[in-house]
Amino acid sequence: MPNPILEVSNVSKIFRLNRQGAGSLRQDLKRAWLRAIGKKSTFFGEEEKANKSAKEIRALDEITFNVEEGEVLGILGHNGAGKSTLLKILSRITRPTTGIVKGRGKISSLLEIGTGFHYELSGRENIFISGYMLGLKKQDIHKKFNDIVEFSGVEQFLDMPVKYYSSGMYVRLAFAVAAYLEPDILIIDEVLAVGDAEFQRKCMGKMKEASTQKGRTILFVSHNMQAISNLCSKAMLLQRGKIIATGLPAQVINQYLHSFKTQDWKQEWRQGEGPGNSFISMQSVEIVPQLPDGQSHIDIRTGLSVRFRFYNHTDNIMLSTGLHLFTMADECIFDVCSPSVLHKKGFIEGECLVPGNFLNDGSYYFSIIFVKDTSQPLFYFEQCLRFDVEDYRENMAWYGKWRGYVRPAFTFNLRAAQ
Amino acid sequence: MEWEIKPGTRWFELNLRELFSYKDLLLRLVRRDFLMLYQQTLLGPVWIILQPLLTVFTYILIFDLIIGIPTNGIPPFLFYLTGITIWNLFADIFTGLAGTFVNNINIFSKVYFPRMIIPLATTLLHFSRILIQLLLLIGVILFYYFSGKLVIKPETWILAVIPLLLTGFIALGCGLIFAVFIAKYRDLMNLLQLLVRLLLFVSPVFFAVSLVPERLRWIINLNPLSPLFELFRYALVGEGTFSIPGILYSSCAAIVLLLGGIVLFNKKADTLVDVV
Repeated sequence: MPNPILEVSNVSKIFRLNRQGAGSLRQDLKRAWLRAIGKKSTFFGEEEKANKSAKEIRALDEITFNVEEGEVLGILGHNGAGKSTLLKILSRITRPTTGIVKGRGKISSLLEIGTGFHYELSGRENIFISGYMLGLKKQDIHKKFNDIVEFSGVEQFLDMPVKYYSSGMYVRLAFAVAAYLEPDILIIDEVLAVGDAEFQRKCMGKMKEASTQKGRTILFVSHNMQAISNLCSKAMLLQRGKIIATGLPAQVINQYLHSFKTQDWKQEWRQGEGPGNSFISMQSVEIVPQLPDGQSHIDIRTGLSVRFRFYNHTDNIMLSTGLHLFTMADECIFDVCSPSVLHKKGFIEGECLVPGNFLNDGSYYFSIIFVKDTSQPLFYFEQCLRFDVEDYRENMAWYGKWRGYVRPAFTFNLRAAQ
Repeated sequence: MEWEIKPGTRWFELNLRELFSYKDLLLRLVRRDFLMLYQQTLLGPVWIILQPLLTVFTYILIFDLIIGIPTNGIPPFLFYLTGITIWNLFADIFTGLAGTFVNNINIFSKVYFPRMIIPLATTLLHFSRILIQLLLLIGVILFYYFSGKLVIKPETWILAVIPLLLTGFIALGCGLIFAVFIAKYRDLMNLLQLLVRLLLFVSPVFFAVSLVPERLRWIINLNPLSPLFELFRYALVGEGTFSIPGILYSSCAAIVLLLGGIVLFNKKADTLVDVV
């Protein structure tokens, strides 16, 4: 008999961008003033009305689902699909705009490792503060204190400020506190993506133990499909704030991998409508991944070529192009240039090949720069293509985030020394 | 189902039982803030009494020696120390609370606990500091008593509890209200220091109300802190001008501000996370 422990009904969350951020006192006062004097038919008022829908973001759109007691639900979705917002609502950090969530029992959430940790405080002090914030009771902490310390393996440094801890020690201690939470519903957001392999195994073990032996209900968000298929009894796929699939993890993961928007890989413009200026007019940019049969997403093994076509308005020009690859955090990973060649007025095509086994998993974007005489920029087409690289691992017991921006498959051997 | 998460909090919905269940966190936070306040300072907690002492010396230099504001027969050192002790309680709580959201957004956006815990911890922290400062004050009073410069009436000392509590309430109430507005409009952070400084000039901290000309006294009396500060000084050193209606006015202001602050903070706490 189904026995839901959590019922989410018609939950939506809308962010109003124009209301956000600091320094809006003047705008708010102006708005209030305009409202007060009943000035509505002005240009200003209409403009605001027109912008209203554009400035609203529907992070969650009428989400409805139930979670049964003892279920381990994995939540999948691309960046910006609403996963984090959903978890934040369930953890009571933020409220839904509409809709209602009902539940039974105690709910704890781990949206970050080391919540409430303070660098200046000792490990001991931090166990208490973080534990209390996560909802542990005084007697719980006293009872489990030794276990927590043992699990973290930082006994000798317990009375030292955590700012002197190595990052590994810090993470272990922080997770140890969380591992001894005993809520009825546990919410976890990618916190496994830290620590070394040994520690990860311990964490996964702890989660498995919580769900199988203690019958705890777990909601788990991860980009890591192996972790989801190993741990979860059910999975749910979110896309643009909507649930588009629920079911067995394997099925949902499959759907997730197929949901990558291939149209993002290409942009095309009609003559005269493309971005550009008096020197350059874009016609198309696209990413062409070299996908094996049956695969529709780019993973770390996939090679891809970047192709673009543009119109050059200047005759006899020494022209070169540069391709810049950025992470979503705007860090430039590479900047490659084509040789500078004399060009006539007309259409020009470019292609750059990025090999497989080069980029690490993550979200990236390309920008293209057009340069005259190797030094004078003519046009910089920023963020023209964005794409995601998915993780791929074989025979690995480790589920953490692989470090670094690149993940080359260099030859790397160990052999017995002579 | 045992609990619900709904779009908003109602205006008068304060879950006291839940708040109480987080009392251990509250006490830990007070302890943490106390430790943090003097972490990596040379003199550590000595600052709790050193800070008012240094302020007193500045006041003696400026208001007593240079400007020459009379202190109604009370030794200037003692006069300023009483004023500063209770003024600091107000100013520290008020400015401490103003940054509640701005400074704790990292925690607020990652874990849920009743947000009221943070301002309560700040308030308790400053009350614990003032207990130490009161010991200093009593020490100074006794010093002047034994050196024959002061007549004391220990039976009125207990009255000092009233202004201390009410001042704390006013500071907590104003701080909560300000915390909500600062979360939305950072600009107000700049206004905060100015406001506190202006308030100092209309509070009887370095002057006595009896020195203010009759026709201007209403400005001072409009400030609900004034009767409290005068009562505090009267209770401890026997000098002060206050009336029962004045004290009642302050009490009403304290209750209105405190309740208003709690209701506003409680109503807005869960939506402000999206704004900060």
